[in-house]
Amino acid sequence: MSEKLLVLDNIRMSFGAIEALKGISFSIGKGEVVALLGDNGAGKSTLVKIISGGQKATSGRMIFEGQEYQANTPAEAKAAGIETVYQDLSLCTNVDVVGNFFMGREITRKIAGIPFLDERAMEEITGKALANAGTRIPSLRGKVEHLSGGQRQAIELNRFVHWGGKLILLDEPFAALGVEQTRRGLEMIRHVANQGIGVVIITHIMQQAFQVADRIVVIRQGVVAGDVECSKTNADAVIGMITGQTLAGAGAASN
Amino acid sequence: MSPRTRKILEFLLNNLVWLMLVVVLALFSALIPNYFQLGIFANIIEASSVLGVMSIGLAIVIITGHMDLSVESVAALSAMAVSILFCSAGIGLGYKLSPEWLMVPVSLAVACAIGALIGFLNGVLVVKLKMSAFIITLASFIWVRGLVLAVSGGRSAQDLAPAIRWFAVERLFGIPLSAWIAIACFLIFSIMMTKTPFGRHLIMIGGNETAAFRAGIPVKRNLIIAFIMAGAIAGLAGWLLSVRTSGATANLGVGLLFNAFAAVVIGGVSLKGGVGALPGVYAGVLLLSAINTAINLMGLPATYTQVIHGLLVLAAVLLDTFKQRLHQRLA
Repeated sequence: MSEKLLVLDNIRMSFGAIEALKGISFSIGKGEVVALLGDNGAGKSTLVKIISGGQKATSGRMIFEGQEYQANTPAEAKAAGIETVYQDLSLCTNVDVVGNFFMGREITRKIAGIPFLDERAMEEITGKALANAGTRIPSLRGKVEHLSGGQRQAIELNRFVHWGGKLILLDEPFAALGVEQTRRGLEMIRHVANQGIGVVIITHIMQQAFQVADRIVVIRQGVVAGDVECSKTNADAVIGMITGQTLAGAGAASN
Repeated sequence: MSPRTRKILEFLLNNLVWLMLVVVLALFSALIPNYFQLGIFANIIEASSVLGVMSIGLAIVIITGHMDLSVESVAALSAMAVSILFCSAGIGLGYKLSPEWLMVPVSLAVACAIGALIGFLNGVLVVKLKMSAFIITLASFIWVRGLVLAVSGGRSAQDLAPAIRWFAVERLFGIPLSAWIAIACFLIFSIMMTKTPFGRHLIMIGGNETAAFRAGIPVKRNLIIAFIMAGAIAGLAGWLLSVRTSGATANLGVGLLFNAFAAVVIGGVSLKGGVGALPGVYAGVLLLSAINTAINLMGLPATYTQVIHGLLVLAAVLLDTFKQRLHQRLA
């Protein structure tokens, strides 16, 4: 296997008396696509939030590129090179497409020491990035609230492809997409992984996981119930791991 | 519908308040004798300077999705502080600085610093302790006004130092400098909101705070700065108030908050946050001022102004809902 990008070591997360994560350990390699599967409430989204700086783990260690890693805010995770696409979309619908594409990292020009938005440069880059991904949006200057759910999700996906980074977390990124857009989205994921970027994708759709992932990690009731390479398992075995019918059956578990 | 008519329609919808202002001014000019005079228009602009400046701060906080009810009291406290320091009659201490012009920056600094401090307090309580901005700033609205009463003992200060008073007297193109200050503020803060990353981030926070946070925008810091700005701008409004009235009374500016609110809403700022622009707010302020002037000219009892302002706010909210529906249909 390729070099380790992110190693999770015994991550625990408690909300009061409820233990959402009971010691999660697995790793993601450079250029590897890991599909994170599990039933509703298994703790997948919580795990994503811990990696992306949205929440702090109760205990446990993360090692990112060989160094101890801990993000207190999403800004810190971004600075480290970790991008996240959330399940509920992270767009400001009251702002136009360009503004959303550059949210938090606007291009500026300094005039008398004061940073001003460089709208033209940003519009150009946004237009190119969307065109490259084959996303058609009527007006880059139109507010996002006028766009359809699929167009919004496409903007989010294109945003992460454009900004790249080192590791990308996708929390059910295709929930609002049509067939064609989903196919293109899966292609995009392969494309970024080929550049050596690690990808973690949460999905409920088994077919998608097998289409795009190198490895499947199943979380069940806050623990890793299975960690197998896609080529060495099949959908039935994975479903068994998700529902808890089989535990081993499909290859070595994480420990 | 062709794209062009759609564009024109959207443009009109987004600038509806300016259209209303033009229509109202035209109507008044046609129907009310003596309304159509340069002097009257200059007066409308002059009368809207204090309210205008105050509305800027309020609008900024509302655009970020919060609320600042304390602006009126903050303005009153700043006005009182400036008046106590630099008035020579009443409870004024009559401090003199030499050269005299030095009193201008010093009084401005005092007024804005008081506002910024209260704004900072509001911001920290709202953002860090996650308390409701409505309640926190309502409390500030009350205790700051109480402080005005306490420091003044209910009495007033008159005869502001001429060097400061100069701003209300001196005119440029027929409009007093105090009104130019308000116009300059609208320009500066409009540019800040639309052309700088900071302003863009405030609008984003108002639209979707979670998304802004996830995008790495320092939401808490920016929100606190917005509250500080609203406070400091209210302080400036207070300074203008004391300049215009050449002093301060304990009940100075009472009722301005509701007019500011009216202006902000009429100006197209959504109370839900994330929507609105400052030029529209200025148009809202001018609209209120134009109507007040009309009421004065027609010799109607001033008591009617409140009724009309209230109805205007209602109309503005109705228009806003109507606008949103139209927008959806256009999309």
